[in-house]
Amino acid sequence: MPRPVRLGLLAVVVAGTGISAQISTDLVDRRRAAFHAQATDADMKREGGTQPRDWTYDLPDGVSTRQVTFYKDGGTPLYGKLFLPKTFNTRGSWPAVAVGHGINALSIGIEKYAARFAERGLVAMAIDYQSYGFSGSGSDDLRLLDPDPTTDAVVVTDRHVRLLVKRTNLNNIHEVEDFRAAISFLQGEPGVDAKRIGIWGSSNGGSVVIAVAALDARVKAVVSQVSGAAPSARGPAPFEAAMLDDGIRRARTGQGAEVDGGFSFRSKVDQWSTQRNRDLRPGSLLDQIPPTTHILYLPAENDELSGRGGAGAIAATRYLSERGVTAQTIVFPELTHFQAYSHTGFEVGSTLAADWFLKYLGTAAAQKATAAPAQAAR
Amino acid sequence: MNNAFAIALGCLLPVTLAAQAAKPSLPDGVITRDVRFFSEGVVCFGRIFLPKGLTPASKAAAVVLAPGWGETEASIEQYAARFASRGLVAMAIDYRGWGKSGGFLYLVDPIRWDDRQRFSQHTARVRIRRRRLLPEAQVLDIRNAISYLQGEPGVDRARIGVWGTDMAGGHVVVAAAIDSRIKAAVAQVPIVDGRDVPRKAFAPSPSQQGAMVRLARSGQAPAGVIAAEARNDEETKLALAEYHPFWYADAIPATTAVLFVVAEKDTTVNNDAHAVAASKLLKGPNGVASVSGATHSLAMPGAFETAVDAAAAWFVKYL
Repeated sequence: MPRPVRLGLLAVVVAGTGISAQISTDLVDRRRAAFHAQATDADMKREGGTQPRDWTYDLPDGVSTRQVTFYKDGGTPLYGKLFLPKTFNTRGSWPAVAVGHGINALSIGIEKYAARFAERGLVAMAIDYQSYGFSGSGSDDLRLLDPDPTTDAVVVTDRHVRLLVKRTNLNNIHEVEDFRAAISFLQGEPGVDAKRIGIWGSSNGGSVVIAVAALDARVKAVVSQVSGAAPSARGPAPFEAAMLDDGIRRARTGQGAEVDGGFSFRSKVDQWSTQRNRDLRPGSLLDQIPPTTHILYLPAENDELSGRGGAGAIAATRYLSERGVTAQTIVFPELTHFQAYSHTGFEVGSTLAADWFLKYLGTAAAQKATAAPAQAAR
Repeated sequence: MNNAFAIALGCLLPVTLAAQAAKPSLPDGVITRDVRFFSEGVVCFGRIFLPKGLTPASKAAAVVLAPGWGETEASIEQYAARFASRGLVAMAIDYRGWGKSGGFLYLVDPIRWDDRQRFSQHTARVRIRRRRLLPEAQVLDIRNAISYLQGEPGVDRARIGVWGTDMAGGHVVVAAAIDSRIKAAVAQVPIVDGRDVPRKAFAPSPSQQGAMVRLARSGQAPAGVIAAEARNDEETKLALAEYHPFWYADAIPATTAVLFVVAEKDTTVNNDAHAVAASKLLKGPNGVASVSGATHSLAMPGAFETAVDAAAAWFVKYL
């Protein structure tokens, strides 16, 4: 197994429409010693997940927050926490970013990214996906324990019933919908420019944001951290025999096998979620991303989960660039998957992400003069 | 306005297929069994038609049948019965929120949950929504029905087909492109929208975006019949704007055999732009069978016979 290529090559893999398409990677070079320290300090190891001390943050000076409820799929309530920049006002025209967590996780672990983005002048909203954290369980997660008495004669019925509520229903199709509902919510937020919306996702969420970009052209800038699905073929995903059996059991009894899920937050998840998530393979959707969407990948060099060296992200960046989509990959030197969320990984990662959003969404001030039409859609 | 839209807007008054008026008796030896299958959380209805002589030791091929837009299982039973008479196990289904299937659920009362406890039982007020027309949800219902059918005694789980009519003709194209269990598909008078839409991220129009914003910001599950019907329509329009079965045709593997059965005089759907164009993208065995003189409803005498025989022959040959 060859050693990863040295940093000079890896840290700056840029393929864009030209030098102007890139953001500067000077910060990575300047912090190389700090990356090395993080990678080698025993106290900064993050094997198997982040730690609660990685989630805490001080709200930046002047940034305010507001907890909101938004809706998807016919009425399922989701939770978001809005972070508003110091100079925010509802008469302005601000870029906004939806911030989503990784696999089987919670928004509280990534609020600090939203706080940092707000500090940099972006409206940011950290969200819990459906059936996670403060977000509700939806129709796919609720099961009546009594027969459903309704018929086609009445389109809506309120009933007092016994029901089973499922949580942590890990489902990337849900997560795509969650991001899209968050985008819609942000577009309607007074003071937000509906034409300047970005999304940030990490780990599994980093895959989901690429899929969102492939499905929804309202997204103008994307940051995909410690993820990076390489280009892949379309077509049906294979079934393993065990998954086939589990699918049958679920369809016949309503309940299949469970497995341990998650890293920083652990819970049981449906074994089936692995198969279900194969329905959404971002690598097979890359050609649907329009040139108006700008993609930044932030992989970690020693990522033990999403692939080492950022190989997938680099391949995807090349693929996108060849098709006229501005894309860039910046690798966190030496870091493992979960180290990206703390110390230098967080400092550099959140800074580069904010740089990307500000470059491709613009700042509040720069766009103020043209703010009026942006709200027309509401 | 494209065809699918026209149908969507007319969906609340579904076209009655003439053939469903007179329910024929079951073919010799065919028996039926009503079943409940789970599609995501919702208990759905299926009626399985079992061929003569089927035993748990049999290794029969099996087909899921999906009704058209705004239709229920009852409208397609005669196809399932015919398939069973040809030796296939056939399961006709109701989608979530339709016919004898359960509806979509939303909590009205606040409840307490804890993510460390995956399942918790509550007694609470829920809002049950019905007659939503959501193509992606219907595709998932078809796939969950496949799971059920694969577990049916006497069924060979490696030989699974899907049959869909009208909008469900598009659904089976989508399902065949994303579900590797499907080995044969028949799309009857199919609406395979999307030929003229580039396969790119959806860019909503201002009014569509306005609807998306409104739903995200104030889209609680609607209370009351008028609000719920309006919501159903609004959600369906948005869903259809992003639903392009045509995009999936070229992702169907070469090992899957797909037959399009079209009505020669179909005025609801332009066969050249839908079935015929989609068939040209297929890598595996495929065909377009045209029912002479028939319209979309296949109500003309003899049209049903021609259409069902073509479908049955296809499944028998490729399963």
